[in-house]
Amino acid sequence: MIVEIGAFALALALVLSLAQVGLGFAGARRPMLAGAGEGASVGVFLGVALAFAALVAAFAGSDFSVANVAANSHTAKPMLYKIAGAWGSHEGSMLLWCLILTGFGATVAVWGKGLPPSLKSRVLGVQGLLGVLFLAYTVFASNPLARLANAPIEGRSLNPLLQDPALAFHPPFLYLGYVGFSVVFSFGVAALIEGRVDAAWARWVRPWTLAAWSFLTVGIALGSFWAYYELGWGGWWFWDPVENASFMPWLIGAALLHSAIVTEKRGALSGWTVFLALAAFTFSMLGAFLVRSGVLTSVHAFAVDPTRGVLLLSILGVSAGAAFALFAWRAPALAPGGVFAPASRESLIVLNNILLTAATATVLLGTLFPLIREAIGGETVSVGPPYFNLTFAPLMALAMLALPFGPLTAWKRGDIVASADRLKLAAAVAALAGATVFGVMSPRKALASAGIALGVWLIAGVAAEIAERTRAFRAPWPEVRRRLTGLPRGAWGMTLAHAGLGVFILGACFETTWKVESAQALSLGGQLRLGAFELTLKDVRTVDGPNYLAERGEISVTRDGKAVCTPRPERRFYTAGRQSTSEVALCNLGFSQIYVVLGERRATAAGQPAWLVRSYFNPWVQLIYLGPLMMTLGGLLSLSDRRLRFAVGKKA
Amino acid sequence: MFAFWIAAASVSAAAGWLMLRSARLASARAVGEDPSLVVHRRQLAEIEDLAARGLLPEGEMRAARAEAGRRLLAVADAAPAPSAVPGGRRSVLAIAVVAPILAIGLYVVVGAPGAADRPFRQRLAEWRQADPATLNPPQMAALIRSIVAERPNDPEGYRNLALAEMASGNAMAASGALRRAVALAPKRADLWAALGETFMAEGEGEIGVDARAAFTEALRLDPGSLSARYFLARADIADGKVAQGLDGWRALAASLPADDPSRLALTGEIAAVAKAGGLPRAQPAPAAIRGMVEGLASRLEASPDDPEGWVRLVRAWSVLGETQKRDAALAKARALYKDKPDIMNALDEAAR
Repeated sequence: MIVEIGAFALALALVLSLAQVGLGFAGARRPMLAGAGEGASVGVFLGVALAFAALVAAFAGSDFSVANVAANSHTAKPMLYKIAGAWGSHEGSMLLWCLILTGFGATVAVWGKGLPPSLKSRVLGVQGLLGVLFLAYTVFASNPLARLANAPIEGRSLNPLLQDPALAFHPPFLYLGYVGFSVVFSFGVAALIEGRVDAAWARWVRPWTLAAWSFLTVGIALGSFWAYYELGWGGWWFWDPVENASFMPWLIGAALLHSAIVTEKRGALSGWTVFLALAAFTFSMLGAFLVRSGVLTSVHAFAVDPTRGVLLLSILGVSAGAAFALFAWRAPALAPGGVFAPASRESLIVLNNILLTAATATVLLGTLFPLIREAIGGETVSVGPPYFNLTFAPLMALAMLALPFGPLTAWKRGDIVASADRLKLAAAVAALAGATVFGVMSPRKALASAGIALGVWLIAGVAAEIAERTRAFRAPWPEVRRRLTGLPRGAWGMTLAHAGLGVFILGACFETTWKVESAQALSLGGQLRLGAFELTLKDVRTVDGPNYLAERGEISVTRDGKAVCTPRPERRFYTAGRQSTSEVALCNLGFSQIYVVLGERRATAAGQPAWLVRSYFNPWVQLIYLGPLMMTLGGLLSLSDRRLRFAVGKKA
Repeated sequence: MFAFWIAAASVSAAAGWLMLRSARLASARAVGEDPSLVVHRRQLAEIEDLAARGLLPEGEMRAARAEAGRRLLAVADAAPAPSAVPGGRRSVLAIAVVAPILAIGLYVVVGAPGAADRPFRQRLAEWRQADPATLNPPQMAALIRSIVAERPNDPEGYRNLALAEMASGNAMAASGALRRAVALAPKRADLWAALGETFMAEGEGEIGVDARAAFTEALRLDPGSLSARYFLARADIADGKVAQGLDGWRALAASLPADDPSRLALTGEIAAVAKAGGLPRAQPAPAAIRGMVEGLASRLEASPDDPEGWVRLVRAWSVLGETQKRDAALAKARALYKDKPDIMNALDEAAR
């Protein structure tokens, strides 16, 4: 009965979101209808939540009469992956998407007390419209609660690559980010209908942008971390179309975060900010289309189904097309905001926006070009790292060169020369770091040295900015301390996020340039040299997992005869789907990691069993994940700034 | 079914109540001032706050304050929002009533009214109650698996599980069960021999390294183990050591009672190998393997949506030289997966 109540609740949610659309738009001038619209949006969320709970219950109880459970679960799977299986398939993840979409709508309804009633009502109307599109798609084209007349005795189990803790939590965070931008989209459309985009609007939009962007950062980082240790290739970013699909909304979201500040502080760039607000969710929907339509093959691509692709493309076309048409019609009428000089913080943010948007365009081109080429009958091409290194990297490098100037330059009319003066020390430190790396480590890697200098430049620039704000080294300590504690959380958030970017750059440059790789077939007792380390295969034994069989190797790592660590990589064979995966073992050495993969068993010429052991020394690789973590914390810290509280009017 | 409709009615009533309640609250809410005014006023206050904490230089503060003040005035001077229109109670009521009715209609189309939940635990309980003769092999295997989970230290349970898994065409699960069994009772030659047979079934008849190790262990524990002696000798023949293997078989045949039908079968096999100088190509597969493949076929008959299973079945018939059965399975699978090119390719690959 639980499953069918879930199915009914999902149908009710679809009908209620239709009501939400009507009530939301009609309620712009009728408080009673607006109120009913708010109630409807909460009802829609509760309905979808009930359906989602029913699906999770079906997965947890291995109810194979539900087609989706039969196709993606198995009784022997550990409970965590039974539950995570609820969003491991196309249908279930669509339901998660709808849950988050309607959850954001309900949040606006419940917490948006400080919003003008007509704006709020229209935001809920637009959010309802998105809800109708995605719920209808879920109910009619990918029903996660569809039943089977004859329940099979055992399920077909989830792809073992997805049976991993990082991947169990990756989709919820990713979707909180992707779908979080839907609120920003709805705010944009509603403001265009109202014809008013001003500083107040920008302030209302900012918390949603911050939240969505922070969640997306976590989601992407988790996905990248998963790819790093689960796929066993030692890489963390492959410019895979699916990765790009999540990266584009992130870039646009980052641009939006910055341009919304200009609109909020100066009332300027309002048209551009609305444009980005529409673009962020459009890129989210494009990502959903790319991943789910089967136009690309990838580790994360769901089952190939052209009909679903056409439907998703229609949703994308209808919602984004209508929104941008509205933009083209109404944007010219938006009131212009404050003026600013070419040398000002506004101009620097405009530069940031131009570079981020151009970088997004290069990623978009690199993602779509192979698809278009294939569609018009050309041969299959793949666009890989060389393309992105030549296009994306220089644009981002420029943005990062300019970054430290932003917080140090005044609004409206700034003095770039004075800012440069304050950054002298930071520039010197960065140049020194770059030169040191260039001279000491490997003179042939000039580009990597430049990258290191860039990372140091960002971090040192952040330090210079704090020093400037607090008058450190110039004013007496009590004043510095007073200023330090007086800085608003938003400022600390920005500082942390910018430093996080620098930390990430350092990690990325170190890891990609000075990674050491080594592979060899080892019999028991065999040794393998990895840079300064000596790896010895001590033992391999068979291990029974809950739903897999594994060979677990025991490898001792020594350096100059001293024991360092004992990684235990596994090669697992999942019996249900007859698929094998490798379970990487990681050793943390400071920020660096030793990464060991156990390959298939084979026989040596002498008939002894041997295993292909591949290992990497990844210097400073943990900075690649520490950086995004800092960015996320920065976003959340800004979000906690009391100036962004939702109930703006309550306490001035 | 009755409970379902009560639950559905409660969910609908809750949704209606939510809408009506927030509609009532909203209409009772006093029309306050424009919230944008509040935001602009707060912005002014924040500028002064930052300046008071010394975080905003004097000149910048003055310019920012002037501008924020101008924005506040502009909003205050703007045409007041069109006044709110009262009413709408009847529309809200109508929606609260009609929405559940529409939802029921939609549910009847896309849902499965009356379909009960089938959680695995409940189905297991039903199988436990049922007459074992009515259960098919996969059901039997699931049932024994649940019993084994309750008595994890009983090698006999694992042996029974292995038999049921073999019968339902899952050699890998069978060898998994037997590996646990030999870990519990490492001295039992019969378990080692059975393990060897499941390894062999996994390898679709080939006696690989694991199978040979298991048979060797069985023979070490019980030098008379028929199965171990038979298959080790067979492995020798397959490896080209025909004379050595035939010697093993002859010794084995000699140790069997004269009226034993398997002695007759074995003598026939010895003659065939001696004539061909090796294992004949279309060697009739050992019964265990045939049983496994038949089991797989019947499982697919019962629940056909299993592409990997079909590929395995087609390959197994193909390896066993059963062209007719292979083609029948292939035709059925092709009809099932005609829209899935990757599965079709795998099927064709397996049939070769």
